[in-house]
Amino acid sequence: MTDRIVGILILLLALGYGLEASRMQVGFLSDPLGPRPFPYIIAILVGLSALWLIFKPDPDPTWPAPRFWPVLGLVLLSLVAYAYLVVPLGFILTTTLEMTLLSVLFGARWWQGLGGALAFTLAVYFLFTEGLGVTLPVGRIFG
Amino acid sequence: MDILQALLNGFGVALEPLNLLLVVLGCLVGTLIGVLPGIGPISGVALLVPLTFALKMPPESALILLAGIYYGAMYGGSTTSILLNIPGETSSVVTAIDGNKLAKQGKAGPALAMAAWGSFIAGTLSVVGLMTLGPLLAQWAIRFGPAEYFALMVFGFSTLSALAGKNLFKALIATGFGLMLATVGQDPQSGISRYTFGFLQLEDGMDFLVVAIGLFAVSEVLMLLEEKTPGAVRAQVGRIYLSFKDFMGSLFTILRSSVLGFLIGVLPGAGASIASFVAYTTEKRLLGDRARFGEGDLRGVAAPESANNAAAGGAMIPLLTLGLPGSGTTAIMLGALMSLGVTPGPQMFQQHPDVVWGLIASMYVGNAVLLLLNLPLVGLFVRLLAVPAWFLIPAVLAISFIGVYAVNNNPFDLLLMAVFGLVGYLMRKLEFPLAPVLLGLVLGYLMEINLRRAMTISNGDVGYLFSSPIAVGLWVLAGLSLLAPVLVARFRKQGLGGDEEL
Repeated sequence: MTDRIVGILILLLALGYGLEASRMQVGFLSDPLGPRPFPYIIAILVGLSALWLIFKPDPDPTWPAPRFWPVLGLVLLSLVAYAYLVVPLGFILTTTLEMTLLSVLFGARWWQGLGGALAFTLAVYFLFTEGLGVTLPVGRIFG
Repeated sequence: MDILQALLNGFGVALEPLNLLLVVLGCLVGTLIGVLPGIGPISGVALLVPLTFALKMPPESALILLAGIYYGAMYGGSTTSILLNIPGETSSVVTAIDGNKLAKQGKAGPALAMAAWGSFIAGTLSVVGLMTLGPLLAQWAIRFGPAEYFALMVFGFSTLSALAGKNLFKALIATGFGLMLATVGQDPQSGISRYTFGFLQLEDGMDFLVVAIGLFAVSEVLMLLEEKTPGAVRAQVGRIYLSFKDFMGSLFTILRSSVLGFLIGVLPGAGASIASFVAYTTEKRLLGDRARFGEGDLRGVAAPESANNAAAGGAMIPLLTLGLPGSGTTAIMLGALMSLGVTPGPQMFQQHPDVVWGLIASMYVGNAVLLLLNLPLVGLFVRLLAVPAWFLIPAVLAISFIGVYAVNNNPFDLLLMAVFGLVGYLMRKLEFPLAPVLLGLVLGYLMEINLRRAMTISNGDVGYLFSSPIAVGLWVLAGLSLLAPVLVARFRKQGLGGDEEL
C-alpha cells in the first residue's frame, strides 16, 4: 500500500515536472532541441516507472515505532534552525547546541553531550579556520 | 607514450612529499571509515572533497586522496565483519559469514591476515589491469562523438538501475530523480532558468556535494537514530598471523576472485558489493566439498575481500577513460575532478597524464601502505569502536556542516542538506537505491549536452543517435542490461541457499 501512495506522489511529481518544462520560454538563440525535450524524456521515464510501482507495489516497509516520529521531527527542525542561525549566532555556538541535542538523543547525559560537543566543535573550528583556511561564520552577535 | 615510461613519471608524481602524505592519510581515513559502521565510503569521500578545495590541491593530489579513502574503506570494512559480525560496509557483508565463524573458533588472527593479504594481492593486480586496459579503452573511446556518448550514458544508467537495487523500477525512479536535480539551474545552451522557482541560490544548479552529504551522511545519522545502535563495543584481537600453508591454500581463490572482482568493477553499477558476493558464491560452487564455506573457511574470507578490492580498482577504468562513474563514490570523484577543471574522459590520458598516472602509481603505493598499516594496527582500529555512538555520530554531522557550508559559504546549502537528509531517509526506508540519484545529478548535465550537440549536428534528426555501429552496440547493451536483475536474483538464490537476505 505504501508503494502505491508513493507511486502516486511520484507520478504527480513527474507530471508537474513535465508541465513546468512545457511552460519554459525559449528565446530565438536556441539549439534545434532546446531546453524542453530532455526534461520531457525524464518525466516520461519517471512517470512510467511510477505507474509500474502503483500496479506492482513491494511489500510495506517496516516503519519505526510511533515514538520515533517526534524525534525525527525534532532533528529535522533543529537542522533547519541551524541553517538559519549559523550566520547570526556563529559556528561554534550553533554547532555545539546541535551536537548536544543529538548526543542526548543518542543516549548521553546532557553534561556529557555538552562537554563532548563543545570540545569537538572548538577543535574542528580552529583546525579548519586556522589550519586549513576555511571560512566559518564567527557570528554576527559577536560583532 | 610507452606505458612503463608513463608509469615511471606517475611514480614521480606519487612520490612527491605532499602526495605521499595524502596516500597515507587517505588510506588511514579510509580504514577508519571502513571500520566504523554508519559511515560509508560515499559519505567519507563527500566529506573530504571540500577539504581538497579549501587547500587548493592540484587535481592529481585530490584524486590520490579520494581514491585512497575509497580502497582504504574496502580494507577496513572486513575488520568489524570478522571480529564483531557487524559489516562496516555493504561490500563486507559476505565476509562476515565465514569470518565471524573463524573469530568464534579463535582464529580471528588468521582471518584478519587473510583479508589483508587478499586485499593487497587483489588491489595490486587490479592496478596492473587498470594500467594495461585503461589506455586501450581510452584509445578506442577517443573517437566517440556526442551520439556515442549519449548512448554510453544511457547504457551506464541502465546497468546501474538494473544492479543497484532489488526493484528495477525504484532504481529507474531514483535515476530519473537525479536527472531532474541535474536540470535545476541555468540551461547551459539557451541561458534560461529551469526549475529554480525564483531561488537565486539555485541558478548555478544544485551542488553535488550538498546533495551527496544530505542524501548519504545525514540520512545515515537519521537511520542510526532510529535503530538506537548500541553504544561502545569491545573486541579482542589476537596475534595477526597467517601460516604459509593457509596462504597457499587460498592463493588460487584470491587470484580467481581478483579477476572476477576486477571485471565486475569495470561494469557501471556493479560495484564492490556485487563483486564480493559473486566471488563468494562462485568459489563456493567451484570448490564444492573441498571447502567448508559457511562454517569458517579462510577461503570464504579471501574470496569477497579480494573481489571487493579488485572491484575498487576496476571501477577506476570507466571513470578515467570514459568519464562514466559506476558508483556513488566514483560519481563524487568525477564531480570533484570537474570542479577542479579536469573532465575525465578519453582525452585525459593525453591531456592530464599527471593525474592518471599519478593516481595509478599512488594506488601501488597505497596498497603497500594499507598492508603495512593493517597488519600491526588492526587492534588499534578496533579500539576506536569503543568511542560511544553519542559522540561519534553527532561529530560526523558537525563535519558534514563544515563540508556543506564550505562549498559556497552559503547557509542556504545547509537547508538543502536537511531536505535531502529527509529524502534520503525516506528513500532508504522505501528501499529506493541512493547511488543512482547522485549519478544522475553528476552526469545529467553531460548527458543533456551530448544529446543536444548530437541533435545540432544532425539538425534534429533522431536517427543520428543510432547511426554508428558503436552507438547501436551500446543501445543493445543498455537494453540487455535491464535483464540483469533476473540473473542476479537467480545467482543470489543458488549461491547462498534459502532466503538469506543480502
